[in-house]
Amino acid sequence: MTFRQALLAAALSFAVPLAAHAAPKTDLVVGMAAQDIGKLDPHLAVSTIDRTVVAWIYNALVRFKPGSMSPADIEPDLAQSWEFSADKKVWTFHLRPGVTFQGGYGELTADDVVFSLTKSGDPKRSAFSADFAAFEKVEALDKLTVRITLKQTLPSLLGILTNYSGGFIVSKKAVETLGDSFASKPVGTGPFAVASLTPNQSLELVANKGYFRGAPKLEKISYRFMPSNASRDLAFQNGELDVEYGISDQTWVDRTRKLPGAVVDVFEPAEEAILHLNMAQKPLDDIRVRQAIAYAVNRPELQRWQGPTVSRMPASVIPGGNLGYAADAGLLEFNLDKAKALLAEAGFPNGLTLKVVHTQLPGMLAGMQVVQAELKRAGINLDLQVVEHATYHQMIREDLSAMVYYSASRFPVADFYLTQFYHSRSIVKTPTAVTNFSHCTVADAEIDAARTEPNDAKQIALWQTAQKKITAAVCAVPLIETLQTWVHKDTLDYGYELKGSLSLGPLITELTQFK
Amino acid sequence: MKAILRNPTTSIGALFCILIFVGAILAPWISPYDPLDQNIIDRLQPPSAEYWLGTDIYGRDVLSRILWGARISLVVSVAAITVAVVIGGAIGMVSAYIGGRFDLFVMQVMDVLLSFPSLILGLIVVALLGPDLINLIVAIALTAIAPFARIARAPVLSLKERAFVEAGRALGFSHARVLFVHIMPNILSEVLVMASLWMATAVRTEASLSFIGLGVKPPTATWGGMMRDGFEAILDAPWLSVFPGIAILMLVLGLNMVGDGLRDATDPKLSGS
Repeated sequence: MTFRQALLAAALSFAVPLAAHAAPKTDLVVGMAAQDIGKLDPHLAVSTIDRTVVAWIYNALVRFKPGSMSPADIEPDLAQSWEFSADKKVWTFHLRPGVTFQGGYGELTADDVVFSLTKSGDPKRSAFSADFAAFEKVEALDKLTVRITLKQTLPSLLGILTNYSGGFIVSKKAVETLGDSFASKPVGTGPFAVASLTPNQSLELVANKGYFRGAPKLEKISYRFMPSNASRDLAFQNGELDVEYGISDQTWVDRTRKLPGAVVDVFEPAEEAILHLNMAQKPLDDIRVRQAIAYAVNRPELQRWQGPTVSRMPASVIPGGNLGYAADAGLLEFNLDKAKALLAEAGFPNGLTLKVVHTQLPGMLAGMQVVQAELKRAGINLDLQVVEHATYHQMIREDLSAMVYYSASRFPVADFYLTQFYHSRSIVKTPTAVTNFSHCTVADAEIDAARTEPNDAKQIALWQTAQKKITAAVCAVPLIETLQTWVHKDTLDYGYELKGSLSLGPLITELTQFK
Repeated sequence: MKAILRNPTTSIGALFCILIFVGAILAPWISPYDPLDQNIIDRLQPPSAEYWLGTDIYGRDVLSRILWGARISLVVSVAAITVAVVIGGAIGMVSAYIGGRFDLFVMQVMDVLLSFPSLILGLIVVALLGPDLINLIVAIALTAIAPFARIARAPVLSLKERAFVEAGRALGFSHARVLFVHIMPNILSEVLVMASLWMATAVRTEASLSFIGLGVKPPTATWGGMMRDGFEAILDAPWLSVFPGIAILMLVLGLNMVGDGLRDATDPKLSGS
């Protein structure tokens, strides 16, 4: 070796590690508040844990622009264009050519779309079938053209077809081949594909190099299940996590914002926590008892507890920001004397006890304990039956609780929330059940009329009337609206500005990368 | 008694236990605040003159909750160990007294119970019956029956051959009278020593079950439950889990120290040494 070669070798031996060090990281580690993953079949993914990750695996006909959840920001996804009939009952979608499924399941065709949307509308194979009640038929006109015919016009068909809930498109071949195991071995067209799942530990994803928008900049994602908030926080502080599911609590936000290199994301949608009062049960069939509960709830105190950065005070029985929201729905304001007087009038001068099923999920249990203490001041005792989260979901749908504390957001058009939570068709334990836990029926006429109302202003007025009627009947008592709270390293660039995400977690796209 | 208290370790243990027992009994009068009263404005306050041990995420006073939580810990452990002593002791004594195949069968059943770690057995029982004060007592009692049966059995095996027992039988006393009037007083001290040691285990099991969410329902204050809630906020408010942890440590350590002292004092091999 000559002197010059030796010098070059020495220089290289320094330069290579330096270059390696300078290259940005390509593996993303996400810490999620979860014991395990639930279902990765997007039409069965109902929890935040599952919803967050299915949005990285699948596409839909249309999508919200990344970082937004505004209906005004809906843009083409698997469909590159569409048109509709004058009465908005027949919609034709033209698919993007050359899109392929992960894992060698071939090219996306109209058959996959027909199969997916039919599956989404089937209550046996989808948790979101109620959204598809107005669908008459979905048919493939040719390999890349799909026609959807509706029984009636919908306030927002595109809303149902976005990259959220039932809108995700799955591979027909994969579902038929894999059967039940599809829920743990999903096949989509999205930027990331599932590589492996270690129960109670992590879900590993790899980049889908053939993604139609271009190969993702990240190579791998490790989605770690870390149910303990403290463990996740410590892992993030130690640099083991790049993204962490946070806690919607002011103290957490204030402390985390002070960490070096941490960017706290507080974004839409706000999930509205509501007490649904079971009007089919005694003593909640008496409106005076329901009004007493409404008067006993102290919303300003709840907001003080959660903190102003992460929560908002609700003004109606649907979340704020929904199209058709009534900011003057007439919620009863906190008044302990009125609550006690109404209880006495209803025959409970010494108070009453209600048996309530609730989840052990720390955030929801903590919120319920604040409500429990507030109601106790009026003499309303909640006998909490605290059960595991999946059991809670099952029991409340079996109509086993006097009241249900439920926190949710839906596609931000009033029809979705009103239909699912307050229409008689959605009453739990019925064949068409969704999440009407209160057995509310007072606003059916307005909800149905609004759905087919062609005049926008009249449609909004109908939705607002519906909210006022539901509020007056005290089917439900709104508690608090809580925004989504995550944190990520400042070296990570999502590739968009995160203002909202209907999948309840940050979208990891082909453009997400480390700086 | 003097001999017991002369031992400094036992005295310290007794002091810990007395402090906690007195605190639990006087909780309604000495607690600075209502343990269930939420004061959202003062949530997550560190220890101060106003709140000696700070406040939790709902603004509840930690000191008051520890004092009231002591009641749950003590009620559960005293009740569970009493049940275990009575049932386990009776099983062990009767089994040894009758002897033969019956004794063999009973002890094998007890061996099966002993093969489960107490926390696992408690977990199974509470998971089956549901989290509740009575079920918690039943669960913990069940975990301690087998050890007490074994403790009661061993001395009865030798005592039943002794002359005073033979004499009792010869005088025509019933088996029950011989067993409970003549034999039982001789094994009582040994059983009581074990009871104090097992009380410590019962306190730990109760705290562990509460920690994993299988204890008494919220909002009732329990030490294990307080530690679990505090653990969720450990980076913001470490006092929430530290103080109930110290309370558990003091009671468990105290009971063990007293138990050791009692054992030493009643063990003829150690007395006078």
